[in-house]
Amino acid sequence: MAEEGFFDDSWLDLQRKYWETWSQMSRQAMGLEGDEGKLTNPWESAVDNWWKALSPAVSDSSRTFMDKLMEQGKVFFRFGEAFATGARDDAYASDGMAFWTQALEDIRQRFSGSLDGGDNVMQQIMSFWEMPLDNWQRMMSSMSPMPGDALRNMPHEHLNRVLSAPGLGYTREEQSQYQELIRAAIDYQQALQEYSGFYARLGVKSVERMSSYIQGVIDSGKSIDSARSLYDHWVMSCEAVYAEEVATPEYAKIHGHLVNAQMALKRRMAVMVDENLGALNMPSRSELRTLQDRLQETRRENKQLRHTLQALEKQVAALAATVPTTLPPTIKAAAPSAKAQVRKKAAAKTTRTD
Amino acid sequence: MIPIDIRPDKLAQEMLDYSRKLGQGMENLLNAQTIDTGVSPKHAVYSEDKLVLYRYDTPEGATAEPVPLLIVYALVNRPYMTDIQEDRSTIKGLLATGQDVYLIDWGYPDQADRAITLDDYINGYLDRCVDHILDAHGIEKINLLGICQGGAFGLMYTAMHQDKVRNLVTMVTPVDFKTPDNLLSAWVQNVDIDLAVDTMGNIPGELLNWTFLSLKPFSLTGQKYVNMVDLLDDPDKVKNFLRMEKWIFDSPDQAGETFRQFIKDFYQRNGFINGGVMLGGQAVDLKRITCPVLNIYAMQDHLVPPDASKALKDLTESQDYTELAFPGGHIGIYVSGKAQKEVTPAIGKWLNEHLG
Repeated sequence: MAEEGFFDDSWLDLQRKYWETWSQMSRQAMGLEGDEGKLTNPWESAVDNWWKALSPAVSDSSRTFMDKLMEQGKVFFRFGEAFATGARDDAYASDGMAFWTQALEDIRQRFSGSLDGGDNVMQQIMSFWEMPLDNWQRMMSSMSPMPGDALRNMPHEHLNRVLSAPGLGYTREEQSQYQELIRAAIDYQQALQEYSGFYARLGVKSVERMSSYIQGVIDSGKSIDSARSLYDHWVMSCEAVYAEEVATPEYAKIHGHLVNAQMALKRRMAVMVDENLGALNMPSRSELRTLQDRLQETRRENKQLRHTLQALEKQVAALAATVPTTLPPTIKAAAPSAKAQVRKKAAAKTTRTD
Repeated sequence: MIPIDIRPDKLAQEMLDYSRKLGQGMENLLNAQTIDTGVSPKHAVYSEDKLVLYRYDTPEGATAEPVPLLIVYALVNRPYMTDIQEDRSTIKGLLATGQDVYLIDWGYPDQADRAITLDDYINGYLDRCVDHILDAHGIEKINLLGICQGGAFGLMYTAMHQDKVRNLVTMVTPVDFKTPDNLLSAWVQNVDIDLAVDTMGNIPGELLNWTFLSLKPFSLTGQKYVNMVDLLDDPDKVKNFLRMEKWIFDSPDQAGETFRQFIKDFYQRNGFINGGVMLGGQAVDLKRITCPVLNIYAMQDHLVPPDASKALKDLTESQDYTELAFPGGHIGIYVSGKAQKEVTPAIGKWLNEHLG
């Protein structure tokens, strides 16, 4: 029933036909250099279309969940697609290690600027290493009116000259604030570049780690025969390299710089917003915070006083319970005087409090 | 032998299987619209600001022990993790051992709560919850169970109010915040906490989520979803997974001033080890803890490494200190099947042996 309702067999048949065609095309493409990267994956587009049709009926939490299932499904099938026997040329098909050796070289060349990004498979594989950066940008987007990647590619070659110019005239303070804001933005951009650069380096190391694993597979005489297994080992390699590298003092500095630079940028923005609110005679964030601090202090004292008062009430009640109802004559005589003293003390205390 | 030998027909079959499971999972997801958490019956007995103190109902036919147990959960994430589903509930397990269980739900702080301090939490909210329970039961001491950051709260509270605590249980509690394998600690050393709190006011839950997920980004934000596809055809497993997803991403914002002090005093200055933690003008000294202590840690904990918890051993003056090592992770210690069989009964047994 489930398949009929949501994922009927005709769709699956279509997929199967698609894949048969794809496999045939791949075999035809063997030996044709560069063509393999241009083959598109019909599974992805079909799944996307299917999901677009159904997702409006799903609750938000389930939709987010399904998005992740499909996103990751695409990632591991891209792996499978990249390594499928027959999809690549003879050298790769006969020796998976050759692919990794070439991959490593591609990555090195890319960092040296001598290889185009293009459509090649390694781009898909390396995009996996953008996941931590993507997580950061999504998180920042959720906390900010500005997209998380807004500053990722901001050019700033000419900004330094502008920033070094002193403010002039009546608006010099405002100019200075904008200069501070831009400086903070540049610093954040640099921090973001350091952060993404760090992950790019880890990408190279993870390919090397995977190469060692594949060598182990060769030595053992076994083979990796499923996309899932390949994906799992790739994740393991990435996670192992990541765990080693993020425990270093170098990463702690990069991480600290990223968070601090983002906070400094937001701080500059907040200062400017506060300035504008002040100009409009509206309460600013800093004024509200002062009030919050004072209010919390008052509430803290109030609660402490109430607590003390309750403790005293209990003590008084306990004392009252121990006082005999019929007092001896001598004590009775002394009682009014003691009562008056208590009143005096109470009055004095009230006056001090007020 | 070709090391990577993925035939197109096999790959196509893998894709079809994946697609089929997604399709089946869709129906299960549609049926799992409401994700219920917190399964044991309870009622609110005290509230203050956003805090609610709950008391769990004693199971029918059972008799509760005379010394109630107060569970203090962390400010990060939500306490329903302790009672997440019928067959995975620390609370239920504790009730089964005869404990009279109370739990503090700290709520979701907003910007108006920014100025709440660590002192307000420990000597204010927590102390008033304890007083409420003491008054309600007409007793002088309760048992305290602190979880994760809540364990650090339990330690601070007991150190300052030892006269109100009969027994202290700490679960996956960080004590030494600077063990070499503590990634969270390593990362926060270069973060300017004052700048972050002064800028943000409260620290957003999203920032904490990102930090926790960054501990294992590929497994936690990628691979686990691929693994999940294999379980999608089981409606119960889908619901269980969604419950965990809900909990993982249900991270309250942190009251700014509390976050400032907690991170600086503990993660940056390692206050339990080096001293110097002050609450309301009073020093927090773990040597003032003299009651029996049960310290439980998880051997595969990536958030609070075992050594971070085990450091408690020599820091108190307790003459009755017990450790319990659980072979699992930070979350598994409450929700795994093994934990239900090993951890919760052990806590109940230990508490029942320390009634006198």
